[in-house]
Amino acid sequence: MILSDLRDRRPPITRTLLLHNIKITLCYLAMATLVSSAFFVLSSNTANVDIIYIMAIVLIARNTEGYIPGITAALFSVLLINMVFTYPYMSLNFTLDGYPVTFLGMTLIASLTSTLTTQLKEQTRILNEREHMLMEAEKEKMRANLLRAISHDLRTPLTSIIGTASSYLEQDPVLSEQDKSLLVAAIADDAQWLLHMVENLLSVTRIDDRTASVKTSLEPLEEVVSSALVRFYKRMPDTRVQVEIPDELIMIPMDATLIEQVLINLLENAVCHGGSPVPIRLSVSAGKSEVRFSVRDFGCGIDPGSLTALFDGCSSAQNHSSDSRKGMGIGLSICKTIITAHHGHIFAENHPDGAEFTFILPLGETSYE
Amino acid sequence: MNEKLTALIIEDEKNICRFIETALSKEGYQTAKAYTASEGLSLISSLCPDVVLLDLGLPDMDGMEIIRKVRQFSHTPIIVISARTMEAEKVAALDAGADDYVTKPFGTSELMARIRTALRHSRPLKEERSEYRCGGLVIDFEKRLICLDREVIHLTQIEYKLVSLLARQAGKVLTYDYLMQQIWGPYSDGSNQILRVNMAHIRRKLEKNPADPQYIFTEIGVGYRMREE
Repeated sequence: MILSDLRDRRPPITRTLLLHNIKITLCYLAMATLVSSAFFVLSSNTANVDIIYIMAIVLIARNTEGYIPGITAALFSVLLINMVFTYPYMSLNFTLDGYPVTFLGMTLIASLTSTLTTQLKEQTRILNEREHMLMEAEKEKMRANLLRAISHDLRTPLTSIIGTASSYLEQDPVLSEQDKSLLVAAIADDAQWLLHMVENLLSVTRIDDRTASVKTSLEPLEEVVSSALVRFYKRMPDTRVQVEIPDELIMIPMDATLIEQVLINLLENAVCHGGSPVPIRLSVSAGKSEVRFSVRDFGCGIDPGSLTALFDGCSSAQNHSSDSRKGMGIGLSICKTIITAHHGHIFAENHPDGAEFTFILPLGETSYE
Repeated sequence: MNEKLTALIIEDEKNICRFIETALSKEGYQTAKAYTASEGLSLISSLCPDVVLLDLGLPDMDGMEIIRKVRQFSHTPIIVISARTMEAEKVAALDAGADDYVTKPFGTSELMARIRTALRHSRPLKEERSEYRCGGLVIDFEKRLICLDREVIHLTQIEYKLVSLLARQAGKVLTYDYLMQQIWGPYSDGSNQILRVNMAHIRRKLEKNPADPQYIFTEIGVGYRMREE
């Protein structure tokens, strides 16, 4: 069914294709004629002429679309051989001995080669197309999964916002001032979370869909870190982060907005899940060919069983109550997408006092002196 | 006799418009609003507001176009309201003549601070400011002297030029292009690496922890902003 479907979608003969066909046919015929003439003049041996023309016909059939160029070339070659390379020269003589055999043979070779090559081309095309369709389907599936995860994660805070707002509006007279401000604070909190989510999703659109890579430019390490910290403090003013970066100036090829997003996600993750009063530690160390960013919290650590699945998204939804909005599932999987697009890698591990998330970015070849 | 400052809000989202309006009137500004660009342009010429808040995503005209049109006849400070992850848009707006930008979503305090900065820079004082003072950092523009916590800091020629440029327009974001042009002239090559490197040197001289700066802030993809006095 799919096969016949594909076959019907064979590209029609367009003008450019026709021109291409004519060009190739003429080119090979001219070459054959040239070589044959050389043979003819130098050795006056006409036996090889046929072979040369047959070779030209095979090549023409191989390199053009459809049957017509090959057969035309065969016809033309037979006439040419008859006229130029056989006695009487420069005139057509159809009563020549064995002429019909040559004629038929050459036409047959041409059409056979054309058929074979056409079929071959058709098959590779169908194979390519099928592969492409499979890839598309896979992508579609991923997209659907992501969408499902997103809408799940978005619904929870939205429900809470709508519920809180309506209870505020409906029970206005009975609520005390304190209750009211609590309700509004809850709305603000949920809205903040939603915004964070949307920003994460938006950042993914900066990654090129086809090549899964990003446009990078050399950015000073400290600028990205400081900018991420400023944004992080804006969202979570009560937390403190202990920062350590190398003294020397390091320029890293990256999309700064995206790496900023990763840093914020990891810091926030550390605050939400670490749940410890000890400040989070963000440390950066540089090697010869890579830079290592680590975010360390001093909380309860990560369940060893979910360490590997952490970055696959929606992992927390399966293990815990599926309504917990604290699930950083999408945040972490977006971190992974971003880091992978930078040709780096990201992983999580437990240390004695808590958990540590690390990502490594390659420095590339361009370094600034 | 109306002593109130006028702010014009050009924004097509009615909810956002209302929220900005409320915040501004609470701070003592008189507000006017326009939902379309053409309406906004005519209000700017008739009302002569003290400050314009402009949303870049208006239905009837491109934001850059509006800024360019306004700049033909007025020097009213324009603060652009834009969405995040659109650095190119912000830079284009700043280079087209906008004074500053706030990124959606923004808090009222942030917006007010930006408006105050823009207003201050739009009314230059009679005599040039002779010094910048913020926390432990003091810059004496006449003596070309920079002190941090009472200690003189030695900067190179270019580093001093950069710092004083940022300090004279403290609170305002200066784009990479603007800084490149001011320091290295109009024929500098397109890359701003040299600027980034100089800023890194400055940061090492002025900040205790370059990753957690106190005086000069980076606006990723846009430029730098010096803390206000």
